[in-house]
Amino acid sequence: MKEEKVKIIITLTVAVFMVLFCLVPFIYMVVTSLSKNPDFLSLQSSFGWTFGNYKNIFTARTLHFFEYLRNSIIVSGVSAVVAVFIASLAAYSITRLSLPAKSFILLFTLSMSMFPQISLVGYLFSLMTKLGWINTYPALIFPYIAWILPLSLWILVSYFMQLPKELDKAAIVDGCSTWQILYRVILPVAKPGLFSAALLAFIFAFNEFMFALMFTTDYTARTIPVGIALFQGLHGEIPWGNIMAAATITTIPIVILVLIFQKNIIQGLTRGAVKG
Amino acid sequence: MINNKLKKTYTINELKGAFLFLLPLILFLLLFILIPIVGTFITSGFRDVSFLEKKFIFFDNYKTLFSDSVFWHDFGFTVVFVIVSVSLEMLLGISFALLLNQYLPFRGLLRAVVLIPWAIPVAISARIWELIYNYHYGLANYLIMQLGISKEPINWLGTNIGAFFALVLSDAWKTTPFVTIILLTGLQAIPKEIHNQAKVDRAHFFQRFYKITLPLLKPVIVVALLFRTIDGLRIFDLIYVLTHGGPGGSTSSISLYGYKYFLSGDFGYGSAISVSLFIVAFALSLLYIKIGRFGKEIL
Repeated sequence: MKEEKVKIIITLTVAVFMVLFCLVPFIYMVVTSLSKNPDFLSLQSSFGWTFGNYKNIFTARTLHFFEYLRNSIIVSGVSAVVAVFIASLAAYSITRLSLPAKSFILLFTLSMSMFPQISLVGYLFSLMTKLGWINTYPALIFPYIAWILPLSLWILVSYFMQLPKELDKAAIVDGCSTWQILYRVILPVAKPGLFSAALLAFIFAFNEFMFALMFTTDYTARTIPVGIALFQGLHGEIPWGNIMAAATITTIPIVILVLIFQKNIIQGLTRGAVKG
Repeated sequence: MINNKLKKTYTINELKGAFLFLLPLILFLLLFILIPIVGTFITSGFRDVSFLEKKFIFFDNYKTLFSDSVFWHDFGFTVVFVIVSVSLEMLLGISFALLLNQYLPFRGLLRAVVLIPWAIPVAISARIWELIYNYHYGLANYLIMQLGISKEPINWLGTNIGAFFALVLSDAWKTTPFVTIILLTGLQAIPKEIHNQAKVDRAHFFQRFYKITLPLLKPVIVVALLFRTIDGLRIFDLIYVLTHGGPGGSTSSISLYGYKYFLSGDFGYGSAISVSLFIVAFALSLLYIKIGRFGKEIL
C-alpha cells in the first residue's frame, strides 16, 4: 500500500506541474490581451478589463494584422493541399507500383527534412529576386511545399501500407488504370490519412519563420509569425496588449484544432518524424 | 515487404508509370532543396558581396571562417545551448510520457494539453516569453519574488547567463511536447506483461523504471535525442525574436550569424557559415537514419 501512495503523490505532482508548465504562458497571453495594462503584475498598476486590444488590432490599419493572418492562411493552406497531393502520388508509387530503390527514395526524402534552413535561404533569396517573386505568395508557397513534402510523404506511405492489396486487385479486374486506382480506390479510402497529413503540413507551414522573414518585405505577403515578431509601437514602446490580442486570435484556432484532432496529430508526428 | 526479392526486373512501361507518379515530388525537392544546397556550396567559394564584382576565391571564405572568433563563439554557444536544452527536454519529456502512459482520468485531454506549446508558432510564443521575462512587470520575476526564490528580480534578457537560461526554458517549453509524444509511443510498445511480472516479483516501481522501462525505451530515447539535436543546432526563430542574439552577441546561434551576413548582402561568407552548419547537421542525420532503422520499419 505504501508504494501505491507514493505513486499517487508523484503522479499528481507531475500532472499538476505538466499542466501548469504547458498552459501558464498561454493563459498569461490571453489574460494580458484582456488587460488595459500589460504591466498589471507590478504593484503600481492595476488590471482593468478591456476588449480594446482586440478592437485595436482590427481597426488600426497600420498594424496590418488582418493582412498577415490572411496571407498565412492562404500560403499555408495552398502549400498543405498541394504538398499532400504530390506526396500522395509519390506514396502511391512507392507502396503500390514496381519501382527500384524504394527505401533509398524514402530515406533520401527524410534526410532533406533535416537540412538547416539557413543553408537554403541564401540561394533561394537570389532565385526569388531573379524571378521577381520577392514579397509575393509564390515565393513562400513553392519552398513551403518542398519543405513539408518529406513529412507528408512519410505519413502517407505508412498509411497506404496498411490498406489491403486486394483493393488494387479488385480494381484491376474491373479494368481500372493505375491513375484510376489511385483516385477512385486508394484516395477515398485513405481520407483519414490524407487529412492527418494535410493538418500537420498546414501547422508546419503556418509556423515557418525564416523563409517568410527573408522573402517578404511588407504586409502584401508577410505571414503572421513574422508580422507579430516585428510588431512595433509608434514611439518605440512595445504594444504588448495588441501583440497578445493578435497572438490570441492566431493561436486559439490552432489550439482548438489540436484539441479536436489530437489523435491524428500524434499519429502523424510519430509516423512522419520518428519510427523508433 | 514491397521489395519482392524474386522480382528484380521491371518492364520499361511499369517503370515509366511509377516514375511519373514520383516526378512532382522529385522536381520540388530538386528545385527548392537540393539545388539550393549545391548553390550554397558553390557560392561559398566566391566573394559574393552586393555591389562588388563576383570573384572565385577558392577556400578563402573558409580560411576567414576558421580564424573568425565570432563564428567560433556562436558555434560554441549553439552546441552548449543544444546540450543544455535537449537534456532538459529529455528529462521533462520522460516524466510527462511516463505520466501519460498510466491510466488517468482525462488522459486524452492531458495529451492534448501537452501538444499546445508545440502547435503555437515559435515566433509568436517567443513574443509571449519576451513579456514573461520583462524585468519590471513580467510573470517570471513576479513568480520568483512571490514564491521567495529570490529577493531581487532577475535581469533575464539583459545579462548573458539570464538570456541563456531564458532561451533554454522557452525552447524546452516549445519542444518538450514533441519529445513526450515520441517517448509515449515508445512506452506504449512495451508489453504490459513484463511490468506485471516484475510486480509479482515485488520490484519497486523505481526499480522497474531503471531495470525494465529505461533499457527497453533506449532505442526510442536515442532517436528522440538525435532528432532534437539536429533540430536544435539550426535554432533561429526563437533567438531572433527573444534575444536577437543579445546581449552583445552572447546568445547568437550559427543560423543567426549566417542570416546576418545574408542580410548585409555578403552571400559568399554567409554561405560558408551555412555550409559548416549543414555538414554537421547532415552527418548527424545520416547517423539518425542509420540508428532509427527507418527502412526496416516501413519496407
